Amino acid sequence: MPLVLFLAMMIIMGFATCCLASSGHGGDMPIARPEGRTPAFGNLYVVGWTAVNFFILLALLYKFAYNPINEMLEKRSTTIESSLKHAEEVKAEVEEMRKEAQANLANSRQEAQDIVARATKAAEDAKNEILARANEDAANMKARATAEIEAATEQAKAEIRDTAASLAIMAAEKVLGRAITEADHKNMVKQFVDEAGDLLC
Amino acid sequence: MIFGMWDSTYFHLGPIPVDHLVVTEWVIIALIGIIGFFATRNMQMVPRGLQNAFEMIIIWTYEFFTQLMDKEHVAKKWAPLLTGFFLFILISNYSGLIPGASHIEGFQPPTSNWNVTATLALITAFSVQVAGFKEHGGHYLGHFISPSPLMLPLNIIEELAHPLSLTVRLFGNIFGEEMILAYMLFMVPFVVPTALMGLSLLLGAIQAIVFTILSASYIAAATGEGH
Repeated sequence: MPLVLFLAMMIIMGFATCCLASSGHGGDMPIARPEGRTPAFGNLYVVGWTAVNFFILLALLYKFAYNPINEMLEKRSTTIESSLKHAEEVKAEVEEMRKEAQANLANSRQEAQDIVARATKAAEDAKNEILARANEDAANMKARATAEIEAATEQAKAEIRDTAASLAIMAAEKVLGRAITEADHKNMVKQFVDEAGDLLC
Repeated sequence: MIFGMWDSTYFHLGPIPVDHLVVTEWVIIALIGIIGFFATRNMQMVPRGLQNAFEMIIIWTYEFFTQLMDKEHVAKKWAPLLTGFFLFILISNYSGLIPGASHIEGFQPPTSNWNVTATLALITAFSVQVAGFKEHGGHYLGHFISPSPLMLPLNIIEELAHPLSLTVRLFGNIFGEEMILAYMLFMVPFVVPTALMGLSLLLGAIQAIVFTILSASYIAAATGEGH
C-alpha cells in the first residue's frame, strides 16, 4: 500500500514538473518529441539480412551451445554408465575375494583341528607306551625282587639247617657224654634235621 | 525525431544497403555468440559456472519442448531453432530498454519493425512445413484436405494466418511498447517511465515466450498424429 501511494505521488510530481517545465521554457524539452510512424512493410533488404542473421545465430547456437553440450551430456552418460559397471565389477570381485577368504579360513580351521587331533593322538600314544614300559619295568623289578627274596629265603633256610645240625650235634654230645662217631653223627644229624626241617618248614 | 523509421540505412555493403536494425541484430547475435563461446569454451566433465547454467538451460529447453510437442525426437530437432527465436526476440525486445533506444536515430529494437518479425514468422512457417514433411513424408499433404477436400482453402488460409498473426502480434506489441515509452519519456522524464519500463520487461519476455510457444505448437501440430 505505501508503495502504491509513493508511486502515485511520484506520478503527480512528475506531471507537475513536466507542466512547469513546458510552461516555463516554452516546450524546450531535454528529450526530443518523438514522431511515431509505422515502418513501411516490405523492405526486402531488412528481410534478407534478418534471415541471414538469424541463421548465423542458429549456427552459433549449434556451435557454442547445443553441439558441445549434447556431446558432453553423451560423454557424461557414457562415463557414468561405465563407472557404474566398473563399480559392479569391483563389487563382484570383492565378493569373490571375501568368499575365497572365508573358504581359506575354514580350511585353516580344519587344518588346525587336524593338527590338534594328531598331536592329541601322538600324546596319547606316547602316554600309553610310557605306561606300558613302566608296567613292564615294574613287573620285571617285582620278579627280580621275588627271585632274590626266594634265593635269600633258601639261603637262610640252609643256614638255619646247618646251624640246627651243629646245635643238635652239640646237644647230643652233651647228652651222650661222649663223642659219637663220625658216621653215627652224620646219620643222626641227617635224621634229626629231616624231622626238624619238616617241622620247621 | 521520427520513431519507427524503417529505411534508415546505416551504410552500404557493396551494393546492399545495411539498415540500422541489421546492425542492432548483429550486436545481439554477437552478444549471444560471445556468451555461448565463453560458456562452452572449456567444457568440463563436472560442470560449473556458465557451463552449468548453459547445460541446465539447454536440458530444460529439451524437457520443455518435449512436454509441449509430445515427441521427443521432434523436440530435440527443433529445440535449437525455438531457443534461437526466444533468445533473439527476448534480447531484441530488451534492447529497447537500453538508454537511448528509440531516441537515438536508428537505434530501435529490431522486433519493433515488422520486416524483422515477418522474417521470423516466415522462418517458422517454413519450418512447420519442413517438420511436417520430415515426420510424415508425403502423407503430410493429406492434412490440407482433411477432413474433406472442401476444407483445402480454409486449411491454406490457416497456414498463412499463422505467420501473419505471429508477425503482427510481435511487431504490434513491441512497437506499441516502444512508442508508449518514448512518449512517456518525452512527457514525464522522471519515475513514471520506470514503472512502464518494468512493464516492458514483462512484456518483452511474454512476447518472446508467446512467439516461441506458438511456433512450437505449430510444429507440434504439423508433426503430431492425426494428419
